[in-house]
Amino acid sequence: MDKSIELILEYAKELTKQNVIGKGDCISVKSGAYMYVSDKEVSLADLTQEDVLKIELNSAQGEYALHARIYAQKPDVSAVCHCHPKWVAPIAACGVDIPAVSDDMTQIVGINCKTCANDAAAIADNLMARNSTLVEGDGCVTTGRTLNEAYTCVLVLDKAAHCFVGSAVLKRNVCINVFEATLMNVIYKMKYSKKNQENLQSEEGNA
Amino acid sequence: MWDKNTEMELRRLVKDSGVKLLEENLVQGTWGNISVRLDEDHMLVSPTGLDYNHLEPEDMPIVQISDPSIWSDGLKPTSERKIHAAVLASRPEINACIHSHPVFATIMASCRMPLPAYTDELKEIMGGDVIVGAYGLPGTKKLMEGTVEAMKGRNACFMANHGVFCVGETMEEAFNVLRTLEKSVYEFIQMQTLEKTGAKEYSDELLFRVFTKKANYFLKK
Repeated sequence: MDKSIELILEYAKELTKQNVIGKGDCISVKSGAYMYVSDKEVSLADLTQEDVLKIELNSAQGEYALHARIYAQKPDVSAVCHCHPKWVAPIAACGVDIPAVSDDMTQIVGINCKTCANDAAAIADNLMARNSTLVEGDGCVTTGRTLNEAYTCVLVLDKAAHCFVGSAVLKRNVCINVFEATLMNVIYKMKYSKKNQENLQSEEGNA
Repeated sequence: MWDKNTEMELRRLVKDSGVKLLEENLVQGTWGNISVRLDEDHMLVSPTGLDYNHLEPEDMPIVQISDPSIWSDGLKPTSERKIHAAVLASRPEINACIHSHPVFATIMASCRMPLPAYTDELKEIMGGDVIVGAYGLPGTKKLMEGTVEAMKGRNACFMANHGVFCVGETMEEAFNVLRTLEKSVYEFIQMQTLEKTGAKEYSDELLFRVFTKKANYFLKK
């Protein structure tokens, strides 16, 4: 089996195990001029080898064109997860942004997570300066240098969303200031996660 | 001084505990770190920035407790080793420390809100209310001092906007503190939700409804 197909199946299983899946999920990895992508009509929980499609980036359409657009706009991105985790959904439905609630969010998700309109151009634009975006009335799109990073981003984003929702009954989150959040985001990307991502890129075949 | 067999056992313990944190969803990705005491002045810690699943017991560095900048026999140690060292130095009865980011405890940490010891079990296991250490960037003296201060006389504390720090005489005990804290915060949030809504039964949908009512406020910001 192709390594990229194996990866998609492995992370579909992990996302299912972590209970962050929903209707219309779609995950992909870039491979040269092509991408391997899960069939958006098939639940990640039921995904098989036959449900992983190989699509040319230049001729992708519909949901897959969104993935292709992100790869074209951000050359350092090698994987995309479009998911619908439970805690993200109510925030995306309300159209609000998630502020910097925790250090791990600022490091891997970004200094905040903005909600954008549910169209490919708005989603890709929102991802220019961030690893993730909320999609109004839908879910979230996360990106990574590896599929592991995009997957971890889904987990951390859902946790940040949970923190944001959970705080509604306690009191408001005290947010991390923009300077400190930006600093952590840069250090994480350039230094802290570098070795781990190099190892993963080598494993995932993107090195 | 410790013998090689003990060292190897403890190396495996740190590695296995890291994997356990991931498996129990008590941490995500490479975050969180673990230490275990070797002797009065030495500890084994997890390395910085690497996935526990990809680590070997041999990768765990030995760090000097009295001067955590000195380390050997492993990969570069976690940047939070100063917190582990300060706690182990001030608490001779403690042999294992876990720093992690479990979901419910992180809610309290992000609100910078203490957890009252509302049951006898909590009082006994945590040593009192679980308070919040002052915020500091990861790896900084400010974070170290805030955490050490909040840990005084207790087995756990929240680290503002970050996560939790838990300790025990053994690693199993430290895990018990961590699991009890996570479970207790979950129950506390349920109680608060019921109290504020007047509902009789908790559900996540109830929490969503409270959030949605407040969402207009966030939209105005």
